[in-house]
Amino acid sequence: MPVRVAETSAPSQVSGANSGQTSLQACTLLSVGQAFTGTQNVSSLQKEEAWRVNVRIQGCDLEHGYLCGTMEALNVPMADTPVVTFWEGEIVDMKNYTFYTGKWEATPEDDIKHWTKFPSFAPLSSKVEADGGKSLDLSNCQHIFMRWKEQYFVNVGTDCGLTIAGFYYVCFSCSDGSINGFYYDPNSSPFQKLELISTNEGRSGFSFSSYELQ
Amino acid sequence: MPSTSSRHELSELLAGLASNDWEVKLGALRHMKNKIIGKKDKKLDFVELGAVAAVAKTLSDALNVNGEGNPDNIKNNIIIQSATVLGSFACGFDAGAQAVINAGAFFNLARLLSIQDAKVVDAGARSLRMVYQSKLAPKYNFLQDENMKRLISLLSNENENVSGLGASIITHSCKTTAEQVALCDAGILEKLTSLLEGSISQRDASLESLATILKNNTEVVLKFVENENGRSLDSVIELAKNKYPRTRLLACICLIVIRNTCPSFLQDIGIKAKLVRTLLELLEDPCVGDEAPFAFSSLIAQKEELQRLALEASAIEKLYCQLQKDPLRPKYIEGILLALADMCSMLESCRDSFLKLEVLDLVTKALSHDSDDVCIAACICIRSVSRSVKNLCAGHFMKDTIVTPLVKLFIKSSTAVQVAALGAISNIVVDFTTRKSAFIQCGGLKELVQLSESMDGSVRSNALWALRNLIFLADNKLKEDVFIELKAPLLASLISDPEPFVQEQAMAFVRNLVDGCIDSIEYAFTDDSLILKAIGKQLQSTAKVEIRIQGMYVLSNVAAGKDSHKEAVMNQLLPQAVSIRDQYFVIRFLQSSDSQLRTATVWALLNVTHPRSDPGAFGRYIKLQEVGIITQIKNMINDPCLEVKLRVRTILEKYASFGGSLL
Repeated sequence: MPVRVAETSAPSQVSGANSGQTSLQACTLLSVGQAFTGTQNVSSLQKEEAWRVNVRIQGCDLEHGYLCGTMEALNVPMADTPVVTFWEGEIVDMKNYTFYTGKWEATPEDDIKHWTKFPSFAPLSSKVEADGGKSLDLSNCQHIFMRWKEQYFVNVGTDCGLTIAGFYYVCFSCSDGSINGFYYDPNSSPFQKLELISTNEGRSGFSFSSYELQ
Repeated sequence: MPSTSSRHELSELLAGLASNDWEVKLGALRHMKNKIIGKKDKKLDFVELGAVAAVAKTLSDALNVNGEGNPDNIKNNIIIQSATVLGSFACGFDAGAQAVINAGAFFNLARLLSIQDAKVVDAGARSLRMVYQSKLAPKYNFLQDENMKRLISLLSNENENVSGLGASIITHSCKTTAEQVALCDAGILEKLTSLLEGSISQRDASLESLATILKNNTEVVLKFVENENGRSLDSVIELAKNKYPRTRLLACICLIVIRNTCPSFLQDIGIKAKLVRTLLELLEDPCVGDEAPFAFSSLIAQKEELQRLALEASAIEKLYCQLQKDPLRPKYIEGILLALADMCSMLESCRDSFLKLEVLDLVTKALSHDSDDVCIAACICIRSVSRSVKNLCAGHFMKDTIVTPLVKLFIKSSTAVQVAALGAISNIVVDFTTRKSAFIQCGGLKELVQLSESMDGSVRSNALWALRNLIFLADNKLKEDVFIELKAPLLASLISDPEPFVQEQAMAFVRNLVDGCIDSIEYAFTDDSLILKAIGKQLQSTAKVEIRIQGMYVLSNVAAGKDSHKEAVMNQLLPQAVSIRDQYFVIRFLQSSDSQLRTATVWALLNVTHPRSDPGAFGRYIKLQEVGIITQIKNMINDPCLEVKLRVRTILEKYASFGGSLL
């Protein structure tokens, strides 16, 4: 299982980040308890295939650029039950994390290749390529860019035949709560697309719960 | 109850003290000294049998007679031995110190300091130092000129017990900022610094006093650091490497006080690492008592960088190793548990190490310790480590072995224990797996509900906090179980509790209760909408922004339901009794400077008007327009908070689709 390079809650973990940057603004649609539903395209050359996916945010610490939650993959062919994984996210805020991954076998070229797949990255692209995006102020950006890395299987063993070796490049829209992502794992099919929308569990509006740790 | 042998021994000694023969008196005092030295049980027996009063009388008599044929050296010997016995009673024993004070001996011991006999002065000073070690000793008033002069004279005395007494008086009595400044202005820092070069006893007493004067007082710390071009500070840094463990500990405590008071000092990574290593070494040293883990805690508390350094220095392994020893004094166990709690309070890597070493098993055992302080420390430790969302998600804490002893602590009579146990449980019940019901099965729910009716506000709010976390993302069955226990009338009364923090937690509880499956919304409408009405009433009257935010999310969650739910929320937002625009709380909230409150409020408004296709949506827009809310919303189109701006635009776009003007 991949290990995070440094402490999640440590601002000093970031190389090349601007420590003077402010954190991103909170977005209620990306807060704890929020659920998303959609698909992940896992097609290969041989076969068209998409798994239904549910995501739930379980923890969020914007100050430290940290997000975590669970991802449930349904109709996975080799599994009898839905497969749930726990993931941890790095929020690109230029304070804790930059657009460059610097680990998980992702080169800066891989990073740019994936980020440019998101249309909302286009206005940022030149600055990121020029200086890593050091001068960018993302605090008013309507999109939140993240990396989600699955850490462990919640309900099945590691022998379930699935891998969580890779990670997701993710883009969240503050406007409508939609999430787009691309799975990156040098040993898997490239650019597996994740598409999720905010779900409101049959309600006529949005509902928000909360917990607070002591 | 004193033993028979103690009674017998003391009656002989008291007879000796009452003798007119001074040699016999002296012999009795010497015997008593030997009987009680280092023996707490014997001291207690003798205190209860009135020995201290008899010795105090012997001292007083000796001071007030003129010799009457007895040579001065015998009289002085009686004075010295009486003082020594009184000091021994007070040494490390509060009941003894209290008995010495109650017997009126304190004044006579102070008189000894002005007698022209060095040995008498030394005995008096030594004895008074023992009394000043107890928190029960009378407070010395530094703000009186005469007292300050006397203190300076004590500190200037060449006798190490007299100067040490001066330092002990400071350690015991200096409590306020004004006293710290007064001592600093009187040149006490310089006096204490000079004592750092004295005997071991003077050095240690001086370090302790310095820490007392410097604690949390930036002005005094600045003066100390600048003193003699930094040489005073250098002396303390040097003493942190001294060969005597107690001196090292006291020097470390002094440096920690300086750093915690003025974080810009002692930033050098070498000094920080040295402090961490020294304190970890001192944990294993029997000479330093129980203070080392507490000092370590004060070094690392709230400081990620130091916690990381401590982790690299294997702090968790070392603390765990100490905890495994048996037997341990309760105070020491408490210190170790609090140090572990601080280690795990912020960094996930520390929690990983803690869990990997299986320290949790021993900490859980400590929950059943006889000492309340140990139980509290164990709870705080579990609270810290259970801040790990990663491990909560894996269901690592919701175990019978952890939860059952915590729930048992709920029924302890001490409020502090209950609050500590509730703190730990609040985190554990967040558990994201399906194990929440395990908490109910072990009887935890009934206890929590009972505590939510406690007379103590902090217990009520913490119990509600735990209930709120318990029902976070819980299924409807579990919510039903909780609601059956709690019931609408109790919940409504907690929403209107006199304590604001209870109100906030009650609101947050309802917010989670009506979240999730649409049927959950009905809880707000039981007993003739008792809960919803209580929320509306509280929102109209409360001034606390945190309560307002939670209340608005309750309304928002209810408004995410059916048409009837939305109408009920509208009735709370626009109460009929209000006729003037500015009296609507919703308008005040939209104008708030707090972006979180504005966000919660616009979500409630968005939900009451959602979706566009809802037959009632248009009517609700009209009502909002009539009372001026739409106008207020239009003013927020460029709100500095991105989220408010986005939601406001959504509301107005829908409004425009009904034909409303965007301007």
